[in-house]
Amino acid sequence: MRNKKKRDGVQSHSVQLKVLYGLLVLVLILGCLNIVKAKGLLIPQQKPVDVKNKVVDLSKMTMEQKIAQMVVVVGDKENYWPWRNMQLGGIHLFSRQTEHVFNNTIVDFQYQMAIPFFVTSDLEGCVTPFGFIRQFTPASEIDTVDKAFAKGVEEGQFLHKLGFNLNFAPVVDLKDDIWKCRSFPGNESEISELAQAYITGLQTESVLATAKHYPGKTLIVKDPHKYVVAAEIGKKDVYPYSYLEERGEVKAIMVSHIITSGEINSEGIPSVASKKVMDDLRAHFDGLIVSDEIHMLGLKNYYHSLDEMYVAVFKAGNDVVLNFDHDPNEIYRMIQIVKAAVQQGEIPEAQIDASVTRILKAKGFTVVRN
Amino acid sequence: MLSGRSLFIINVSLGLLAMLLLIMFVGVKLPTLGQAQYVLDKEEPLCMIEWQGEMTSFYDIDRCCLQAREQLECQAQPKGDLDWMCGAKAGLQIWLNNKAYNYCRQQPYW
Repeated sequence: MRNKKKRDGVQSHSVQLKVLYGLLVLVLILGCLNIVKAKGLLIPQQKPVDVKNKVVDLSKMTMEQKIAQMVVVVGDKENYWPWRNMQLGGIHLFSRQTEHVFNNTIVDFQYQMAIPFFVTSDLEGCVTPFGFIRQFTPASEIDTVDKAFAKGVEEGQFLHKLGFNLNFAPVVDLKDDIWKCRSFPGNESEISELAQAYITGLQTESVLATAKHYPGKTLIVKDPHKYVVAAEIGKKDVYPYSYLEERGEVKAIMVSHIITSGEINSEGIPSVASKKVMDDLRAHFDGLIVSDEIHMLGLKNYYHSLDEMYVAVFKAGNDVVLNFDHDPNEIYRMIQIVKAAVQQGEIPEAQIDASVTRILKAKGFTVVRN
Repeated sequence: MLSGRSLFIINVSLGLLAMLLLIMFVGVKLPTLGQAQYVLDKEEPLCMIEWQGEMTSFYDIDRCCLQAREQLECQAQPKGDLDWMCGAKAGLQIWLNNKAYNYCRQQPYW
């Protein structure tokens, strides 16, 4: 009897040990899989885009490649492989310690990319990720066209030297109650002239300019109890955009999440997701329409799910969508969701093609369909 | 040699760990300690912009977080109701209280 109990005890111990070893192996495998997944290494690599003599055949690009070209993410080194493998449209760089680090990061990302990334920054003068390296004159202190042009040239040279090719500036909001340094001084007409001169200066140095934030009134003090922000847009607010569009130099316009009424009516939808706002803008602007970063509550709170928001932003007609989520799997998921919406006919394929064509042309490519 | 009881406890713990790892792998997002800390903190999130010595409240906390994140670093630096300073010493600075800082850290771009 005692021997039987002892034998049972030994057997139970041996079973528990087997379970222990099994669980250890399982935890190890799952741990490794989680690490591999977190690094985005489970995301399938896109086939190379066929580029010959700066000519891209749109018909040879997959839908995933096209949608990926429309996405700008944060250019952190930890996501070096997933961003390259997905062949995304652009990387946005936050602050770094030295010019050397900026330059190295950009060179590494661009290395042997058939279609190079847009490398974007938020250099506006006072709001800058380069504060540790260099200070620039704030837009609020620029009061002549010559100074605005010189500021454009100076910032353009600096950005170009580091490898940037798209700057999210100038701000053409008429009033800046919060930062007090991001907008040019003066009335709508003076602001427009200064912005135009800045754009000319910046683009002289091969860095594309982005007028923002359409349709205006994003830098005013907001109601702290409202997450979704609404504003009445007047003729003066949109004047800088029509002024810049008429001159034909501005290459990009960034659209904000603000819900608007008045001169530009977003019909209760955040501007960036409003087809009406986008169509009105597109009617007289053939450059790039860039979304503001999509993880702002003003936009996120409006939708029940991220999936719904992703589709809405692409469907509205943005050419370039800023999604600064660090998780490469989420970026990949967004591309898949938008791809499914295109396949189901919710987003016209022609619209995606038109956006990708604009992006590729802005990157200096000729686009054909064979 | 481990006793049967110890083995049982280790196995149950490993089983739970395996389950958590599996949940993470399939992409289910679980609430984090940071989120709990944010909810329990009854303070109002506060973001202020300092430009040329002038402080202005910025109520758009998401845009505030994004601009703060664009800076090289945020340093713990108590100043009145504010706890964190983001930005270079010269130029524009973004100030956050702990509640706002904890909120910012939960954002996908942080």
